[in-house]
Amino acid sequence: MQPPTVESTRMKRSGTLDFGAAARLLDAEPAGREDVRLEHSQALDRFLASVEKRAFRIAQMAVRDADDALDIVQGAMLRLAQSYGRRPSEEWKPLFYRILYNGIRDSQRRRSVRTRIFSLWPGSLRADEDGPDDPFEHVSDGAPDPSERLMASEAMQRLEQAMVALPARQREAFTLRCLEGMDVAETAAAMGCSEGSVKTHYFRALNTLRAQLREAW
Amino acid sequence: MNEQMTDLERKARETFDASVEALDAETRSRLNRARQAAIAELDTAKAPAWRSWAPVGAVAAALVAAVLWRVPGTGEAPQAQANGGAPLELVELVAEGEDLELMSEDLEFYGWVAAQAVESTNGVG
Repeated sequence: MQPPTVESTRMKRSGTLDFGAAARLLDAEPAGREDVRLEHSQALDRFLASVEKRAFRIAQMAVRDADDALDIVQGAMLRLAQSYGRRPSEEWKPLFYRILYNGIRDSQRRRSVRTRIFSLWPGSLRADEDGPDDPFEHVSDGAPDPSERLMASEAMQRLEQAMVALPARQREAFTLRCLEGMDVAETAAAMGCSEGSVKTHYFRALNTLRAQLREAW
Repeated sequence: MNEQMTDLERKARETFDASVEALDAETRSRLNRARQAAIAELDTAKAPAWRSWAPVGAVAAALVAAVLWRVPGTGEAPQAQANGGAPLELVELVAEGEDLELMSEDLEFYGWVAAQAVESTNGVG
């Protein structure tokens, strides 16, 4: 839209106003802006490509359902792009994981409410056994599904089982610090807490996991 | 993480990395599509709210400057008379449809127009 309009606008100008300077401004900026936008898109694409698979596994470990995990990761990607995509790229990682964990918590909350509601319906428990109208069909039983079992190694299954037993904040600290390799400051930003809290949660998580996995590993 | 990882930390990381690498093709493909959707969203993401109002403010400033210049009793600027009354041109400029379209595209330009109008009014008053 810019070039013809710029020209037509420029034609009308005269007198004390330096319309030539304005026209040069208009001619020069759109191309520059386009470059910046493209560069930003590519940077965000690279960032998301670098974290998407790991984020999926983290979500899958937390909600025990591949479809839910995918929804959570997709939501986190969209939210990052919509709300923070134009922020400096150094801020993306903690922001992304913060959004991801918010999504995980929302999903777990929804599932908890859904399970509670269905548990008040004794009839639906019977329907569960009967067949197609099963209201629990999509509610996870907390155990890994067959494909997940095939995919995960025995060691991973043990790690997941041990992590499930951790309090949520300790699990987050362990995941971000150890599995994702984030430093204390990044982890604190992602978890929305102080660096001291991160150290405490992480220390406790390590102690618990060490005790649980000592025999298995 | 620093280099001083314990055996537990190292094994946990390696185990997790292996499970990430073992993701099936369908999941990878779905993640890829989700990423593309997010990137498309970035391209269509709205500018901050203040930016959508910036052209309105700039045009308002230009109009106020033009009106002040035209109000009887405020005195007409000799230079403005000499050049045919540039602020009135500004009114024409923004009153035409095509320029209103341009207005939303080039905020800096309209900021500049407003500044020029004020400068023109002050400089000759």
